[in-house]
Amino acid sequence: MPDRYLDLVNSPLGSAVASRVGLPRPAVLRRYQAGDPLLPGPLLLGSTSGAAPAELVDLLKSVGADVRDAQTDDDRWGALVLDATEIRTPSDLAGLRTFFAGRLRQLLPSGRVLVLGRAPDGADIATDASRQALDGVVRSIAKELQRGATANLLLVDEPAGTGTSVESALRFFLSGKSAYVDGQPVRLGSGEAPAPADWDHPLAGKTALVTGAARGIGAAIAGVLARDGASVIVADLAQAGEGLAKVANRLGGTTLHLDVASPDAPERLLAHLAAHTEGLDILIHNAGITRDKLLANMKPDQWDSVIAVNLESQLRINDALLGSRQLRDQARVVCLSSTTGLSGNRGQTNYAATKAGVIGLVRSAAAAFASHGDSTINAVAPGFIDTEMTAKMPLATREVARRLSSLQQAGLPVDVAEAVAWLSSPGAGGVNGQVLRVCGQNLVGA
Amino acid sequence: MRTLSSPPSLGPLYARAALTARLHRGDTLPDSVYAVADQRIDRERLAAYQRVCGFRVADILPPTYLHVLAFPLSVALMVDTAFPVPLVGLVHVANSITVARPVRSDELVSFTVRAADLRPHAAGRQLDLIAEATVDGATVWTGRSTYLRRGKPAGPARERTSPAERAEPGGAVSYVRVPEDIGRRYAAVSGDRNPIHLHALTARAFGFPKAIAHGMWLKARTLASLEGRLPNALTVDVAFKTPVLLPSAVAIAAQRSGAGWELDVRNARSGKPHLTGTVA
Amino acid sequence: MSTRRAAILGGNRIPFARSNGPYSHASNQDMLTATIDGLVARFGLQGERVGEVAAGAVLKHSRDFNLTRESVLGSRLSPYTPAYDVQQACGTGLETAILVANKIALGQIESAVAGGVDTTSDAPIAVNEGLREVLLDVNRAKTVGGRLKALSRLRPQQIVPSIPANSEPRTGMSMGEHQAITTLEWGISRKDQDELAAASHQHLAAAYDRGFFDDLVTPFLGLTRDQNLRPDSTVEKLATLPPVFGRHLAGDAATMTAGNSTPLTDGASTVLLASDEWAAEHKLPVLAHLVDAETAAVDYVHGDRKADGLLMAPVYALPRLLARNKLSLQDFDLYEIHEAFASTVLCTLAAWEDAAFCRQYLGLDDALGSIDRTKLNVNGSSLAAGHPFAATGGRILASLAKQLHENGGGRGLISICAAGGQGVVAILEV
Repeated sequence: MPDRYLDLVNSPLGSAVASRVGLPRPAVLRRYQAGDPLLPGPLLLGSTSGAAPAELVDLLKSVGADVRDAQTDDDRWGALVLDATEIRTPSDLAGLRTFFAGRLRQLLPSGRVLVLGRAPDGADIATDASRQALDGVVRSIAKELQRGATANLLLVDEPAGTGTSVESALRFFLSGKSAYVDGQPVRLGSGEAPAPADWDHPLAGKTALVTGAARGIGAAIAGVLARDGASVIVADLAQAGEGLAKVANRLGGTTLHLDVASPDAPERLLAHLAAHTEGLDILIHNAGITRDKLLANMKPDQWDSVIAVNLESQLRINDALLGSRQLRDQARVVCLSSTTGLSGNRGQTNYAATKAGVIGLVRSAAAAFASHGDSTINAVAPGFIDTEMTAKMPLATREVARRLSSLQQAGLPVDVAEAVAWLSSPGAGGVNGQVLRVCGQNLVGA
Repeated sequence: MRTLSSPPSLGPLYARAALTARLHRGDTLPDSVYAVADQRIDRERLAAYQRVCGFRVADILPPTYLHVLAFPLSVALMVDTAFPVPLVGLVHVANSITVARPVRSDELVSFTVRAADLRPHAAGRQLDLIAEATVDGATVWTGRSTYLRRGKPAGPARERTSPAERAEPGGAVSYVRVPEDIGRRYAAVSGDRNPIHLHALTARAFGFPKAIAHGMWLKARTLASLEGRLPNALTVDVAFKTPVLLPSAVAIAAQRSGAGWELDVRNARSGKPHLTGTVA
Repeated sequence: MSTRRAAILGGNRIPFARSNGPYSHASNQDMLTATIDGLVARFGLQGERVGEVAAGAVLKHSRDFNLTRESVLGSRLSPYTPAYDVQQACGTGLETAILVANKIALGQIESAVAGGVDTTSDAPIAVNEGLREVLLDVNRAKTVGGRLKALSRLRPQQIVPSIPANSEPRTGMSMGEHQAITTLEWGISRKDQDELAAASHQHLAAAYDRGFFDDLVTPFLGLTRDQNLRPDSTVEKLATLPPVFGRHLAGDAATMTAGNSTPLTDGASTVLLASDEWAAEHKLPVLAHLVDAETAAVDYVHGDRKADGLLMAPVYALPRLLARNKLSLQDFDLYEIHEAFASTVLCTLAAWEDAAFCRQYLGLDDALGSIDRTKLNVNGSSLAAGHPFAATGGRILASLAKQLHENGGGRGLISICAAGGQGVVAILEV
């Protein structure tokens, strides 16, 4: 479903009209293309505690950023990165104002604001309050930014520039891969997160399985996983096999006809893995259905089928995998949640139940997966994404929904896929039990 | 012996037959033998014949093909006023062909035709026209066509022996559609433009409700259905029972009989017999 | 020279559609390409140079002279994959597999795709024979005058196209009419035929319900299951249908109905075969091996009405195959006898059970005997699935290989009858 409004306001005439009459002016987002530079311009690195650590400087340089310090006199920035890990008191927060004031306007279209902070740890009340304050600052910056620029918060355990997963997180959040991730905090913990041999193909040698992959977001996920080097098994209902075969052939994967909600699905999945693979490295629980109805009118089948497909299947397949030899060490599981699971939605009690349930699932299962050879399980919660499903919405509803985010547009399936692929990568091993929203900082369910 | 330099043209012969019908009378057959020597075989005409009759297009002549080449001589003989019965109204009731050896299309074939055995029949009189084909003096093919001149019963029925009639053919059966235009198509490749074969209107003038298929086409088509199953040297002896009214569908039954076959061709719907015969 | 056994790694087919149904606008090439692509997707063969692709169609347009190669070029297989067409009527699908399996066995190739496709909806329509001859002559004529002369032979009735008749060229009889005679000669009852047909539908429906076809079938043009399948088929319902073949036969001798005969169907199937080594390299499990095969033919044109029935040739092929492999008819765990008509299966079994027939016509000392009917067509066959002529062999081959694999071992027999009085039989072993 093309976003004609977005196209219009990015045309010369449409842009002038929209600006005069004060209409929203969504930007064309910078999205990842192999070979593109990491950023559209130089990266200004600052710190709330004087100079940024040398390790962080080196790391940013190594990922491909043109790093400048606060003394540089430039007025066009591809990214503004602030090390705020040493903030201890509310007065330290003034360093954020000092760094960003005046410079936010110098951020290029689809520029990036990244703040590195620490998660509250209960050791000191004033410190925790100050650290938590970063969350509010970053979310607000995200809302203030224009022209496709985004702001996100990385919470690290170690001094900035060291620690697991920081490199892969920087690569994800600075690049076009995070185009539709905005105003989000991500905690980078301590799991095993080996650097891949080739950052252009971080999933090389990995075997991945994506459920519900015949179309839409699932097909996009499979495509990005394959682009990143994974051997992908695309799974879907037998009835969806025609589209599924096309997906598999497009990306060089294999098909598996599987109804995840069928009682023997875990057993059949394990059998397929045993026969055709050396074990599974990446599992994407993407299969999902909607049976929308006001709760007052909902039939048992409408309730049960959504619960079975969207939530129960994930639980059963995870249990089977954890108890088998078919899940390899440092495996990555990503479950598709939804902002509906965070905010709720009228007519979607059943769906919201499962999407919230998935969040509970990943939080609770994180430990079990960590003890399975440092594996991880996370959820990605898409906001309003243009798919065949949303194309069926009434025009007015769709147009309003599209503008209801800081980026004033719907995301694309590939935006969700990029987030999933990052969480599936070896370098994201420090992220476990978390929910990453891919919603353009949707105004609902914030 | 009347030796012709080339086969006579059938059109003028038919015209003469129509004009001289009343002049044919008597009880004796002429002794004359009509002959042409060293005829070259036109491959295109042969191919057209093979197509129309269901044979493969090939260099070996179908057993029935030399009948087509000898036929003008037969007609020439029969329109001669010395011939005791008029051509118009003669019914072809039986045909027997003996192939001594297969003849190739690149051989020069000489023909003789004579009439024989005028005899009384329950329905009138019968006689045979006997054609012989030779290559380098050796007989390779003979054909005997039996014609009936309907008239007052002049003697006891002297039917050729034919296979026992069956209500339901016992062996395997092949069904063949006989299209409305088969008479015209066979006329074009054989030269036998008897009006009873050409169109329903012309056939009606001779008392047939519809055009009828040439008996020799039916015989040829029946032999074609035995493609690959016929010996090199053979005698095919058939009797024509009832005419095939066009269009039609026929059921051809061929049953092994020693080294040869028993043939039985019937109307596919009514079961009325069209042709019976043997291949030996 | 040493030989090896060719492995069957799996298959893919599209659901079979009724004639002039969902696939009415799909050509043979459309269906075969989609089916190859589904196989490619299932086994990850994108860009793979397969040793050989052999397939065919019974009803073929003249433009499809290189049908299989054209389909390969349109597929995701490597364009460097060679291909050729095979046509042995309804035996085509199995024959292609035999051909490539033999090449694998000889070490000439390591992997292959065998298949078949047929459409009765998008069937070739030829110009009238008279028109065709005129047009060819016009084309051959060297001068304008010659062309005009040829054209002058055009007649209005020549515009009527010639639609291919579903009948044997030499006998003018349809397959159904032939089989009606065979059915009568072998004394096969209407009830037995209807029971076999009902079982076919019930078995196929059950196989779908248990997900058996999940890795054998890829939907096409919106069709997700064989369209002819009627899971609620019963002998009682089938008994109400009027006979459609052999109606000229006396009394109640006409027993063949639309229910116990296969309908005209569109569809395609493919099978992936390889050496065991190739399979291991590609981490693809071996379902079964194609051990041996035999073809036979009968003289349905001039032969015996009973012994030489048009579809009786597999009866003759089997004893030769059994003898060569030192097996008896009872040495199989599964039997797949193609249900061209219910009575075809029953005539075949009856012939093998008939001691006098086996002695006289098969040269055996005694009857081959009967089979355990619970092992016959356990996942349904052509009566339920439909029968797109050249696609049936691939359907049976892949399904049987998978069922043997699921059983954890065993031996299976395939028997397929074909137009022209031909038959193909084959042995599969895990």
